[in-house]
Order: sequence, then structure tokens, then C-alpha cells
Amino acid sequence: MLKSGQEWVSSAVDGEVDAKTLAELSADENSHKQWQNYHMIGDAMRGELPQTIDLDLTANIAAAIELEPAIIAPQTETTSTHDAKVATTETKKDNVVPFFKQFGQYAIAATVAMVAIVGVQNYGQDQNADSPLPVLNTRPLVGTASPVSLQTGAVQNQSSVSNDNVVEQRRRINSYIQDHMLQQRLNSGVVVQHNDAIEQNVNK
Amino acid sequence: MRLILLALVVLAFPTFANSNTESIAEEEMSAKAWLESMSQALQTKQYKSSIIQLQADHIRPLVYLHGTVNDKEVAFLEYLNGPPKNAVRVADTVTFIEHDQPAYSINAPRIQGVWPTIFATDVSSLEQGYQFVLGGRSRIAGRPGQMIRIIPVDDNRFMSQVWIDMDTRLPLRYDMVNQEKQLIEQMMVIELLELNEPAKILIEAEKQGLPPVMNPAERIKGQNWEFSWLPAGFHMVVKDHHRLIGSDESVEYIALSDGLVNISVYVARMGDSPMPDELITRNGLSMVVEQVGNVEVVAVGKVPAETLNRIAKSLILK
Repeated sequence: MLKSGQEWVSSAVDGEVDAKTLAELSADENSHKQWQNYHMIGDAMRGELPQTIDLDLTANIAAAIELEPAIIAPQTETTSTHDAKVATTETKKDNVVPFFKQFGQYAIAATVAMVAIVGVQNYGQDQNADSPLPVLNTRPLVGTASPVSLQTGAVQNQSSVSNDNVVEQRRRINSYIQDHMLQQRLNSGVVVQHNDAIEQNVNK
Repeated sequence: MRLILLALVVLAFPTFANSNTESIAEEEMSAKAWLESMSQALQTKQYKSSIIQLQADHIRPLVYLHGTVNDKEVAFLEYLNGPPKNAVRVADTVTFIEHDQPAYSINAPRIQGVWPTIFATDVSSLEQGYQFVLGGRSRIAGRPGQMIRIIPVDDNRFMSQVWIDMDTRLPLRYDMVNQEKQLIEQMMVIELLELNEPAKILIEAEKQGLPPVMNPAERIKGQNWEFSWLPAGFHMVVKDHHRLIGSDESVEYIALSDGLVNISVYVARMGDSPMPDELITRNGLSMVVEQVGNVEVVAVGKVPAETLNRIAKSLILK
């Protein structure tokens, strides 16, 4: 069969066989390689080789078909009134699905980005007013009266106060803290005077 | 036989121990001795320290120079980042030179804002509120450092650790940590140079005419406030009556200190807006507001908020 097989593959390539032989040939996988080679040789002789030679195009195509995801029509709202319509447009939809799939991915990516942005905004707002633990603006601490080492970190406030009072409250808190800082500087040279009186009190 | 052996051991041990103590004394100084030699070094050595200061999310680089010019201690502190901020000390006068206000001088033994003032003055006075414990050794700024823990005797304040250069006896690092062992504040030397003669800037500073010292007598005497309770080692430093910075509010003011930590207590008329009961900054500074009638008592300081609360509650007017 092999020897003669090669011959009729060759003649099949040349288009010299009838349909029945051709069907036989296509059923015989062993001779497919021969078929391909003969075509390749023929193409080379006629100078019709493509720029890149894909030696096993058929296998590639077969593999590609294998990999192709099964196309699943989206689950539309299956209300009874729509059923008939869905049935008629089924084939059209099949073509559309892969495109939507891609679109869906972009949409998800965009949503993630939106969430990220919204999240950042929320975070920023939290610090100002909405959170029960607002971080106070401590700029004033580094303001005019602040002596050398008087910068402090942000202040956390443990009570929730209405917005109107927050500014006033901050101002007062800051003035107390600033004053405390400045006093430390001013008092560092002061000689302790009330030591004895306090000691007595402590010992009581 | 056993008795003889025992007698021998008893006789031999004290002599053995005696011969060793002297060599140990040199190598293994007590924690207090380390602190005292640091205090001595801070006052007498001529040196330049490049330091970074860490406070919550702030990192500040600074340079501190110290020397002796004409038998006077002269020191210079410069903050390296941001608007220029300097402080100069000649003997007991500290002058602050800042970009946004005229220079002013005050009377102070040290420039506040580098190492705690007490480190260079009377370290042993800290013993009322703290214990000194010898810690391990580690390398800082390329120098071997001996760590000393300054552990509070109660829970009313935070613990500190200081690393002392074994060669010059100058401080290399100072940490303040809270009860959860989280860092509140850190000063760390990154370069330490011992100098043979005073730096040029110190000689110039000594020559400069500095603004006259603000007179502390200008303070208006406050009421006779007392405390029924204070943590061990804390005492009153100042009592006065003044207006708060940046506002017209006039307050009764009491300054408390245990040497390492300063607490300010204010008594003021209650404001229009309610103040928070308790407030903690990320660098360990706490603030507590206690309302008594239409008066609020505000305590501020780098101690746990509970301590401030107790102090504010124990204020009495005599």
C-alpha cells in the first residue's frame, strides 16, 4: 500500500484522480505528509513559495480550532416574550460575543481604575471632615511663633464635632500646643523654685 | 578535710574578688557613671555632630557644633532643610535666629531641641523618676556605643534609651519609646567629629553682639495653684499668667518637669467651641482637657494621656 500509496498521492496532487480516490486519501492520515511535501515541491518548482514557510499549516489550523474557546451565547433575560426573538437572532449574536468579551475586560479594567480614584478621594476626605478621627491641619504649628524644634506630627482628634466648630477647635488646640512648645524653650533656664512645696504634696 | 577545703575557698574568694574589682571598674562602669561622663563630655568637648531627628513622619537633618571660646561654652545649632533656623548659645544665653521673626535671646543652659537639656546638666536628678540600666553595645555612626536605658519608675511616662560613644562619651543616639515599644522620637548622630580647636563659626558667634535676654521678670504672677498628686520626680517649674500664642486668650499657666519631660497645664475660660477630651499626636505629645464648671484645664506633654488626665484632675487652687 505504501509504495503504491505514494504514487497515487502524487497523482492526486497533480489532480489526476477521481473524487473517490481523493476521499480515500483524505481519510488516510499517513499520506497527508506526502501530500504536503508534493505540494511544497510543486510550489518550489513553480516559484510560488511564500516568504515564510509554514511546514505544517494543517496541523496549526487544527490546533487553533482546538484552542478556540467554545462560544457561549450570553444568558439573556429569558422572559417568555423575548424567547422567540432570541431564537431568531442567535446566529448573529454568536459573532458578537467575542467582541463583547474583550470590551468587558476593558470595562472591568476601567472600573478598577475608577474604584482606585474614588478610593483615593474618599481617603482624602476622611482626613478632613467625615471621619470621627480627623487629622488636624498642623500647619500653624510650624507657623510664625514656632521655635527651632517645634514642628510636630499630625494631631488626631478623638471626638466628633460639627464642621463649624472644627476650625475654631483646631485653632485653640494649635495655640495650646504651640504655647506648650514655646514655654519649654522659655522655661529651660528657669531655676526650680517650688520644688519643696511640691515634694511635700507628693509625699502626702 | 571538707572543712579545710571550705575554709580555703572562703579565704581565697574575697582576695580573688578584690583583685578583680579595680579592673572591672574601668571596663564596666555603672549606667549612672556612663550618663555622668556623657554630661561631662557634652560640656567640655569640642565637637561637631551631624544628626538626624525622627519624629512621627518627619525627618530633620541638623548640625550641632560645640566648643569653648574665651573660656565660654559656645554652641551652634542649624537645621539643614527648609527655611533657615539657627540657634546660638554663648555661655547661658541662647539666641534663636529664624527667618520669620527677629532674633531673640533667652536665658538657658543649653539649646533646647538637640539632646535633652538634662543630659548636659544634672543627670542624677533624673533618679527621682527613672532608673538607669546598662544595656548592650552597638555601632552607631561608625563608633562603638554603649546603650543606657532610662526606665521610668512608674507608668506615667515613656522610656528612653541613649547610646553613648565609648571613645568620646558623647551621645550617639537617643530614642523615646512608648509602652508598646513604638518609637516616639529619635535623634541619631550620623557623623561625629571631635575637634581640637573651636570651629570658626563658634568664634564668630562669640564675637557677635546678640540681642539682649528677654526678661523673665516680665511674667505676670499667676494664682497659687497646687497639685494634690504628681508623678514621682515631677515638680513645678513656672507659674504665670499670659496670653496664648496666636490668640487673645489669657490663661493661667503652670509648667511641670521631671527633668526629661515637660508638661504644661493651662487653666482658661471655656471656649465657645467644645474641646476634645483627649488628643494624641503621632509624635507622642498628648493633650487632655478637663472641664470644671465654666473653666477648662488643659494639660499638654509627652506622657501617656492617662497621666495628663490624673494631673489635670488633681489641680487645686489654694
